[in-house]
Amino acid sequence: MAAAVSIQGLTKKYLDVWNKAEITAVDNLNLEVGEGEIFGFLGRNGAGKTTTIKMLLGLIFPTSGSATVLGKPVGDTDAKAQISYLPEEAYFYESMTGWDCMDFYGRLFRIPEPQRSKRIQKALEDVFLDPKAWRRPLRGYSKGMRQRIGIAQALINDPKLLFLDEPTSGLDPIAHRELRDIIVNVGKQGKTVFLSSHQLPDVELVCSRVAIIHQGKLLASGTIQDLTTGDTVEISADKVSDSLAGKIRGVVPAAELVGQRLHIAAADPSKVNDVVDLIRGGGAMLLSVKPHKRMLEDVFVDVVMNEGGA
Amino acid sequence: MVTLAIAKQTLEDMLRRKILLVLLIIAVGMIALGPSVGFLSPRESSAVLRSLGLAVILLAGLLITILSGIQVIPTEIERRTIYTVLSKPVQRYEFVLGKFLGGIFTVFVMIAAMGLVFLLVLAWQEKRFDPEMLKGVVLTFFQMTLLGALAIFFSTFATPVVNFFLSFGLFIVGNLSSVTDSLISNKNPATRIMASAVHYIIPNFGNFNLQNKLIHPSVEISNANVFIVQNIVYAVIYSAVLLLLAILVFDKREV
Amino acid sequence: MKASTRRNLGLAVIPLLIATMFLQAAIDPSVREINKGQKTAFQGLSGEFVLGPLLGLQQAVAGLLWVRADEFFHSGDYDAILPIVRMVTWLDPHQLDVYITGAWHLAYNFTDSSERSDRRYIPASQRLLEEGDANNPEIYDIAFELGWQNSDKIKDFARAEYWYRKASTRHGADERGQAKAPVPMFVWHQLAHSLARLGRLEESVDIWKKALAMSEDFVKKNPTDFSRRNVRGSEVHNLELTQKRIFSRYKHELDWEVDAKVGKGVNRETGEPLSRDTFVFVTGSEVSQKQSAYAKAGLSAPAMAVGAPRPPAIEPTWNTAFDARPLFTAPKVLEVKGRFNVGDGARVTVRLHDDSYRTAQLKEFTFDINQDQTLMLDQHSVRAGTFGRKIDMSKDPKMYSFKSNIYYLVFEFNPRATSPFIQDRFGWSGEGMADPKYLWTDSSLQPEVRWIRKVYRITREQVFGGSIPESAVVSNEEYARVMAEPGPAK
Repeated sequence: MAAAVSIQGLTKKYLDVWNKAEITAVDNLNLEVGEGEIFGFLGRNGAGKTTTIKMLLGLIFPTSGSATVLGKPVGDTDAKAQISYLPEEAYFYESMTGWDCMDFYGRLFRIPEPQRSKRIQKALEDVFLDPKAWRRPLRGYSKGMRQRIGIAQALINDPKLLFLDEPTSGLDPIAHRELRDIIVNVGKQGKTVFLSSHQLPDVELVCSRVAIIHQGKLLASGTIQDLTTGDTVEISADKVSDSLAGKIRGVVPAAELVGQRLHIAAADPSKVNDVVDLIRGGGAMLLSVKPHKRMLEDVFVDVVMNEGGA
Repeated sequence: MVTLAIAKQTLEDMLRRKILLVLLIIAVGMIALGPSVGFLSPRESSAVLRSLGLAVILLAGLLITILSGIQVIPTEIERRTIYTVLSKPVQRYEFVLGKFLGGIFTVFVMIAAMGLVFLLVLAWQEKRFDPEMLKGVVLTFFQMTLLGALAIFFSTFATPVVNFFLSFGLFIVGNLSSVTDSLISNKNPATRIMASAVHYIIPNFGNFNLQNKLIHPSVEISNANVFIVQNIVYAVIYSAVLLLLAILVFDKREV
Repeated sequence: MKASTRRNLGLAVIPLLIATMFLQAAIDPSVREINKGQKTAFQGLSGEFVLGPLLGLQQAVAGLLWVRADEFFHSGDYDAILPIVRMVTWLDPHQLDVYITGAWHLAYNFTDSSERSDRRYIPASQRLLEEGDANNPEIYDIAFELGWQNSDKIKDFARAEYWYRKASTRHGADERGQAKAPVPMFVWHQLAHSLARLGRLEESVDIWKKALAMSEDFVKKNPTDFSRRNVRGSEVHNLELTQKRIFSRYKHELDWEVDAKVGKGVNRETGEPLSRDTFVFVTGSEVSQKQSAYAKAGLSAPAMAVGAPRPPAIEPTWNTAFDARPLFTAPKVLEVKGRFNVGDGARVTVRLHDDSYRTAQLKEFTFDINQDQTLMLDQHSVRAGTFGRKIDMSKDPKMYSFKSNIYYLVFEFNPRATSPFIQDRFGWSGEGMADPKYLWTDSSLQPEVRWIRKVYRITREQVFGGSIPESAVVSNEEYARVMAEPGPAK
């Protein structure tokens, strides 16, 4: 799988002129994003997500390290023609109508007419923007409609790679869901999506691979399955005798017995059958078998907390 | 094409600003009222009308140029629209040129509108069309082009407030050309060097002030048309210098 | 952008900047031409008006300043106008009205509580006009104003004639300020009047004839211009009047001739030629010229002498029997009593000034006059052979500071400045005047002029009270000699 984004040792330091202290926004970042992936780039506010994306787009310049995008060095015009970007809380030219705004961006991509008009129409339809709003100025748009324009302007060049920076922040639940569906749809068209977010449930739903960044450092990366391995099952039973508890401890050592009540907080799923057999065979009463799925959120909290950053 | 697209967007954006519209309305109103102040100086009502018209065009043009020149790039950064532009296959020099052209188109539209009203009022008052006045309006436009390039250059590294004082200050200093010209022959060598530096290096805005000749036709200059062409060439070359510098600075600017 | 591209772009700046320097050097001479006459100094300008000129708005700021001056004028605050006049003329040296109005304020509007002008400002007023004229050398207006001020206010008809003649060589500004139109006819008329006032009568008549010829020509080309017909009418009237006066004041029978046939008569209303000829008075020399012209052509001259002999007005001479007696009835309050046998309506000038007072010769315009000097000028009309009134100088210490120890008190009558019906008695230059005591002939001009003048040399103590003895009278020759000496250095 060819790399859509490849980052080697990317570092960005800001010199604070007032107290001469340096802030390291991105610290020796190494990352690969494969073509066709929907890649989740996770981190808290200020973790360095936006800084990284800006460096990948050539808006700011790295202190050290390098990166390629679509196999070309950062800032390459040919590569940029196949990239698009939706900034966090993007503003557009308020006085323009939706259509004119799209037309302007289409011109920046050097898309000639009549192709440009067709692309605009398709992009606006793809993001389900009400056609009645197309010829209205953006200043009258709702937040959700603006975000649709944002996505639409990112789709107008039929990009191979999309950088979406917190695309769902501040949206109501329905708009949120619709936007998520749009992203999934984009992914299905074989485009690479570099999705920066702290909306972990979204990422878990749409992304195939994620990376977690904290205080500029990459803490973890991998597929969702890899990161969330370690599901457990919680088992409770009553009327458990001491001897039965001893047998069960033979299978799951962590089983606790309080009076006659047995509680296993986290059993390996492969051991569940054996434990249930023992309980039922031993005349005890099985109360519950609750599977615990490990969520991306757990992983995120674990990883970030372990790093000590509260 | 990208440069022109950016210029067009900038022009449309600027023309929708209320402040510029208000300035234009005030200026046009003052020009239109020109004939009514002519009574103050009955024998020279024409001179009053001319000086007032040219002055209003210059002052309004100055405000419009400074306001747009210092704002066009910082506004993009402040509104974060620049991210959506520079992340596209747009070269940074195309962005700078587009913004400059957009600002200058704005100034052109404004000066053209005021100039048209001025020439019409004058033609109505004097019952004939006076093409000489057009020269003054054209020179004012090129003076503003140079000032716009200066403001764009400063806006690549200075904040709008700092830029305002820098551009406006240099405009005033650059208007002292007759003072610096006379100081070049000063006895004191330090004064001479300072005056020469100011006169030849700082953009010389005083060159463009043709008002004295336009208001008083008895003031003769030997080669008026050559003078106008020289001034236009001066404005174009010096603006090119400022834009080159702006491009070089902006190329390394983090946005 | 590649590093090499950046470097090349950076290097490109240098030749471009050098090109602008050469352009600047080429532009400079034209800028100098445009700004000629404008002052670049900013001292004396208040803050609000400094910025404008810096921005190349000299003319507009000048216009606005002039609007303010107009406000001051309506509120009577004349002192406030002068600095504005100075600023405006610096900023825009082509605003003729500003020079003219400023000079008018200076010469006429600074007065004491009895409306006597402060004559100490007149040199400044003249200097301002001269500066304005030098800055607008194509246009007649300011030269005309100088002529007018010299004849109307100063009664220096020689200077008036100089400036009117200068004005007559100029052009009128059209509505755009361009000097193109011929000067208005009143410039020529005033030149003729000033020549008559100087006693240069034949020149005056020539100017009237020249003006009339111009108007005739104009009316012929523009038969519907009725205002110009009026002008022509007044020229005819003035030409005839001057000739009649020359005749009645000076001519005797040998000169009294009428040219037989000057030209075809013209209907003054329509411009149509008349069937009859017109007759114009001519001088004796012209008659002899014509006679010799007829003789040369082999023709017999028509009879020219008409009428009966009669002595001119200046014969016999007229005893003006002038005298004047001053008395300071209170400190700085002068009461004058005098007699003068010329006819009611003649005006006697009373002048009181420091012995060191001389008309300032200003090289540069300034309205900063020496406030310590005293100069009072009053005019007394003759009624039933007497004149005189009270002149109270005690209320205006700023004008009449009386800092000097010695003063000259002068009573004088200039026949050239007086009304025509008075002149009818003794000619333009006082040829027919006789006075046993105070006649004085000024030969500095040709033809010379005879004055009536009585001069006292008085002390400061006398100004502060008491009568002035006749022993204080000094001769006209003595006074003329002292006045010709340069005044003490400031």
